[in-house]
Amino acid sequence: MGSLLFDDEVASDLDRLEAAWQAAETFAFVPRKGPVAPSWIEQALASLPGSLQQGHFALLTSGSTGAPKLVVGARSRAEQLARLLHEVQHSEPVTETVVLLPLTYCYALVNQWLWARLFGRALRMTTGLGDPAAVRRTLDGARDAMLCLVGAQAQLLARHFGQEAFGGVIRVHFAGGPFPQRELPTIHRMFPRAQVYNNYGCAEAMPRLALRRAEDGASPADLGAPLPGIELQCDQTGRLLFRSPFAAVGFVDEQGFHALPPGALVPTGDLGRPGPAGRWLLDGRDGEVFKRYGEKVAVSAVVGKVLEHWRGEASYVPTPDALGEPGYVLVLAPVPSEDEARQVLRTLRAHFPRPHWPLRLEGLPALPRLDNGKVDRVGLAAIGERSVHWRQR
Amino acid sequence: MTDRERLKALLIDTFLLDPEEFSFDLRRAQVDTWDSLGVVSLAVGVEQTFGYHLTPEEAMSLDGVPALVAILQREGISCGG
Repeated sequence: MGSLLFDDEVASDLDRLEAAWQAAETFAFVPRKGPVAPSWIEQALASLPGSLQQGHFALLTSGSTGAPKLVVGARSRAEQLARLLHEVQHSEPVTETVVLLPLTYCYALVNQWLWARLFGRALRMTTGLGDPAAVRRTLDGARDAMLCLVGAQAQLLARHFGQEAFGGVIRVHFAGGPFPQRELPTIHRMFPRAQVYNNYGCAEAMPRLALRRAEDGASPADLGAPLPGIELQCDQTGRLLFRSPFAAVGFVDEQGFHALPPGALVPTGDLGRPGPAGRWLLDGRDGEVFKRYGEKVAVSAVVGKVLEHWRGEASYVPTPDALGEPGYVLVLAPVPSEDEARQVLRTLRAHFPRPHWPLRLEGLPALPRLDNGKVDRVGLAAIGERSVHWRQR
Repeated sequence: MTDRERLKALLIDTFLLDPEEFSFDLRRAQVDTWDSLGVVSLAVGVEQTFGYHLTPEEAMSLDGVPALVAILQREGISCGG
């Protein structure tokens, strides 16, 4: 049976993670305040086949459904991927990496901690954007540094540091959600020496699949090209699948252990399609697309268009209408003024037929966030006091 | 809020109109969102707002706001100017 390593143990002593990585025994690296009890993770580790009880690591992910899943990766594969990322991301000039995400997030673990370990670079830990003053000090002192962020952090960075410039940062990577194309001018202003990249992947990919320089595309949906050795495909329903030599070897969910055999085509959890010149385009999350009155509705496309005209953030809550047809509530943050709400409605009318419109337009002071910066969709649905600015009749 | 104001609010919400765009003389042909699903939404909205159930024939035959005002007035709902 594998061992359990909690984020707070690593926060106080980074060597704990190094020791776990060097030990033969498979370990799970998880947040102390996670969505499941430690006993669930211990049972999940115990359910792994004997061949996975050594040389592997496991991370917890909730995916888009909120259901806990322990994803198991091979340490050797993760190290190969970190070496590949070093090449394709042109990381040789980078001397240090500033950590603004939990290390239990696969993206931060592989792209930052493991990369720094393999290439002898410095790892600058922070407690994240919850303490902007400390982040500012770290960024002020950065020298040829790399940041790995999720898209949602772009707005937070702009809010805290939008008028400042950090010349010591030379690489800024985004993953974990739509690329913040709209914030790109601000990102370039804050990090005038940095190359900016859109990284695409998922937990089962452990974690990267595709890459593009920010300047090489104009749409947040443009994922770029698959990394060398990785293949992307879409099936007839538009689900985006991958085949990767660096992928997870399996995962444990409520149903038990599921192996991901070598060469298997694995769903990313997203919808996508091939684009020009070997690039891939993201159409949204699998499950975000539904049929309403015979029309195929992609909520992410609606949210993306709204964000072109709305200064704040937007998310949605799946909600059936009075007749039981699938629908959704569009939630804006901060709470829009009457004119702003009207502008959003104008956008809906100009770009989408009625079945794509939300059932209601609501507002909140701020969207709830998970530790990794993504919108807490379960938490959002549970908030009962959202202001209503418009509703379908 | 008067019945006339409630009707204006209903039509603005149903068809995502700009308030400046609205008038009580508005014709269906002038409103791009007054399509077949819009007809259904309007009928639902009229029932929710005024308690009157437009027949399918009435709903489909509406060629503009004046025709709707006329039906509602016939039913004793004072939406006229």
